[in-house]
Amino acid sequence: MERDGVFTRYAIAGAMAATFYVEPLLTFDLDVFVVLPQAPGGLLTLAPLYDALRARGYSEQENECIRIEGVPVQFLPAYNALLEEALKEAQEIMYEDVPARVLRSEHLLAICLQTGRSKDRERVRILREQAKLDQNFLADVLRRHQLEDKWKLWTE
Amino acid sequence: MEAVDGVNAEVARIFAAKEQRRQDLARLPFPEKVRAVMKLQEMAATILQARGKHVRPWRIVEDASDASATKS
Repeated sequence: MERDGVFTRYAIAGAMAATFYVEPLLTFDLDVFVVLPQAPGGLLTLAPLYDALRARGYSEQENECIRIEGVPVQFLPAYNALLEEALKEAQEIMYEDVPARVLRSEHLLAICLQTGRSKDRERVRILREQAKLDQNFLADVLRRHQLEDKWKLWTE
Repeated sequence: MEAVDGVNAEVARIFAAKEQRRQDLARLPFPEKVRAVMKLQEMAATILQARGKHVRPWRIVEDASDASATKS
């Protein structure tokens, strides 16, 4: 769908992305951030994405997810500068023989700080304990997105 | 591992082993982690459904040759 222009970039986020770097985390859906092409009038809408999925035979919806090959997938538009940067710098991985793109661990941690729920706090703890974090890169991300105070609050 | 007050050496050893297992799990190949998540979903679904929460574990159909190739 990226090739077809339905979205200009995608990457796996949330618990499954974190699972790439840490121990397996329980989740029932797969979060995928997308950069959407500019729609007429500047509207940010997932409708063309859902249309494209329906055309591929994926029409079963549950809550806000679309079931794709047995997995409920939640598509989320990149809605701020941190998410846009995280998508831009996401890394390519191979899942079995299929290429996929996953957010960097440092961006996952920054997104948790920004989102700020109790489960994000727990995820920050696990990422700090288990993921290999590039500390210089992380410090830059936190500074650029004004998350240093939150980081101190959560880690000191 | 951090020392825990009032915990004897045997329990401390168990906690250390648990922590080591989490670190080992973190180093598994990603496809194996996905399979582990699906097992967690199966376990959690039973409990959650008993509490009236509707959840559906994933049903990913894997190619047999791919699956065996990643279990080496």
